Amino acid sequence: MSTSAPALAVEELTKSYGRARGVVDLTFSVERGEVFGYLGPNGAGKTTTIRTLLDFIRPTSGTATVLGLDSRRDATEIHRHVGYLPGEFGLYERLTALEHLRYLEALRGGRHETAIRQLAERLDLPLDRRIASLSHGNRQKVGLIQAFAHRPDILILDEPTQGLDPLVQQTFYRLLAEVRQRGGTVFLSSHVLPEVEHVCDRVGIIRDGRLVTVEDIDDLKSKSLKMVEIRLAEPAPASAFERVAGVRDVVAFGDRVRITMAGPIDPLVKALAQHEVVELQSRESSLEEIFLTFYGAGEASGG
Amino acid sequence: MGSVLTKTLVEQRRALLWWAFGLIAACVLTTAFYPSIRENAASFERLLESLPEGLRKAFGEDVASPAGYLEARLFSIFAPVLLLIYAIGAGSRAIAGEEERMTLDLLLSTPVPRRQVLLDKALAMILATTGLGAVLALAIAVTGPPFDVSVSVANIAAAAANCVLLALAFGALALLVGAGTGRRSLAIGVAAGVAAGSYLIDVIALSVGGLTWLQRLSPFYYYRAPGAIVHGLDPVDAIVLGAITVVAVAIAFGAFEHRDLAP
Repeated sequence: MSTSAPALAVEELTKSYGRARGVVDLTFSVERGEVFGYLGPNGAGKTTTIRTLLDFIRPTSGTATVLGLDSRRDATEIHRHVGYLPGEFGLYERLTALEHLRYLEALRGGRHETAIRQLAERLDLPLDRRIASLSHGNRQKVGLIQAFAHRPDILILDEPTQGLDPLVQQTFYRLLAEVRQRGGTVFLSSHVLPEVEHVCDRVGIIRDGRLVTVEDIDDLKSKSLKMVEIRLAEPAPASAFERVAGVRDVVAFGDRVRITMAGPIDPLVKALAQHEVVELQSRESSLEEIFLTFYGAGEASGG
Repeated sequence: MGSVLTKTLVEQRRALLWWAFGLIAACVLTTAFYPSIRENAASFERLLESLPEGLRKAFGEDVASPAGYLEARLFSIFAPVLLLIYAIGAGSRAIAGEEERMTLDLLLSTPVPRRQVLLDKALAMILATTGLGAVLALAIAVTGPPFDVSVSVANIAAAAANCVLLALAFGALALLVGAGTGRRSLAIGVAAGVAAGSYLIDVIALSVGGLTWLQRLSPFYYYRAPGAIVHGLDPVDAIVLGAITVVAVAIAFGAFEHRDLAP
C-alpha cells in the first residue's frame, strides 16, 4: 500500500457486457479525506464502477486501484480498508440483526460490538429482531452499520440513503461528517443532486457509462437551474424574456411561458412586473435537465 | 460464528436435526420389518427371480441374510438417495444460494478471499453429510440387533461411508455448477440429472452386455460393487468416488475465482 497514492483511482476503466451497458474509458481519482459524490441516473454505470473497485467484477480493460492497491491482485487487502454498502443487497433472514453484524465483523477479524451497539442506537435499529421481520429502512441500517462499524479508511456507499426516512438521513449525514473529521474518505453514489450537494466536496457525473465531468460542488451548484412556469393575463412573446439576465431558454405558448434560468430569480421578477401575472411556479431542475442543458443529449450519450 | 464454516453449519443445525430424525426413522422402519421378511424369504426370493437380471443385481441378492437385506432395502437406493439430496442441496446453496439471495456482496466485501469462502462452504457440506452418514450407521447399529439384523459395525460403517462418498461426489458437482454460474436451480438440475442418468446407466449395463466401458463412467458403479455392507469398503472404489469430489471442488475454485459475480 502506497502512502501517497490517492484513496481511489480508476484509469481508462472499461467494462463491457455484451450488448448491455457497462462503463467506457473511465478515468478519475478521489483524494484521501475527500467526500466524493458519484452522480448519475439509474443504469449509468455507477454500480459497475463500484463493484469493479471491490473486485466483484473484472475490468474488460483498464485498472482500478484503492490506496494504490490493485483491485484484482490485492482485493483482500483492499477489503481490510474499505467499508462497503451495496446498492441492493440481501441479508441472512434467520439471523438477528446483532448476530448478522457480529458475523460480518468477525470475518473482519475484529470485535466491534461496542461500535455496533452505538451505531444501532443512533440509527434506532432494534438489534434483537430477526432480519426477516425488518422493514426495508431497517435493513438499510444493518447495511450502514456493517459498513461503518470497523472505522474503515474508505467508505464506498452505493445509494446509501435509499429507503431511509429523513430523520435517519440526518444521522447518516452526521456519520459522514465524523468520517471526514477523522480523515476518512467517502465515495458515495447517488442519482439525486440535492443529496450530493449536501455532503460532497467534489462530484463526478456519469452518464451512459461515460464520465461527463468531475467538478467541485460549488461549480456544480452554480449550474443548478430553475424551471419557472408563468401564466399571464395577456399572451407575451418569448422575446420579451430572452434578454433577461440568467435566462437560458424560453418557450412561450399562448398565455403560458416556460423559462429555464440560472442564478438569482430577481431579474426575471423585475421583467415580469411589466405584465399581469396570473400564476407563477418555480422548481429546481432535475439532474436530467442539467445534463441536457450543459452537456447536450447527443454529446453525453453513445455508451 | 467466527468463520464462514461455523456459520454455515450453525445455520444448518435445525435442518440437520430433521434429516437425522428422518434417517433414524427410515432405519427403524427397515430393521423392524426384517423378521417378517426373513420368514417369507422363500417367496421373496421367487419375486426377485422374476425381476430382470439387471434390477436384481441392482437390488442385491441373498435378501434373507441381514447384510443382504440391508443392502436391498436400504443401501441399494434409499439411503444413498437421501444423502444425495442433502449433499446436492448443500452444494447448490454454497455459492449460488448466497449469490441468488444477494448476500454474497457483503460476505466478500470482508477480507475473506473468494477461495476461503468456497473452501469453508465445501468443508461445511462434507462435514454435514459425513455427520448424517454417521447418524445412519449409528441408527442401524443400534436398531438392528433387537430385530436380529446383526451386521458387523465395521461393515455398517463401510456402507455408510460409501453412501457419504457417493453423495459428496454429486454434492461437489452441484457446488461446482453453482460456483461457476451462480444459479442454484441449474446446479440442482445438473447434479440431480447426472445422478439419475448415471444410476440408469449402471442398472442398464447390468442387464445389457458390452456396456462395461460406459458403466465405468457412472459413480454408481463404484458405489454398488461389491456391496459395502456385505464385503466392506473397496479401497479403489472409495478412492474413485473421493477423487470425483476433490476434482469437482478443485475446478470450482478456478471457476469461482475468475468470474464476475451477479449484483
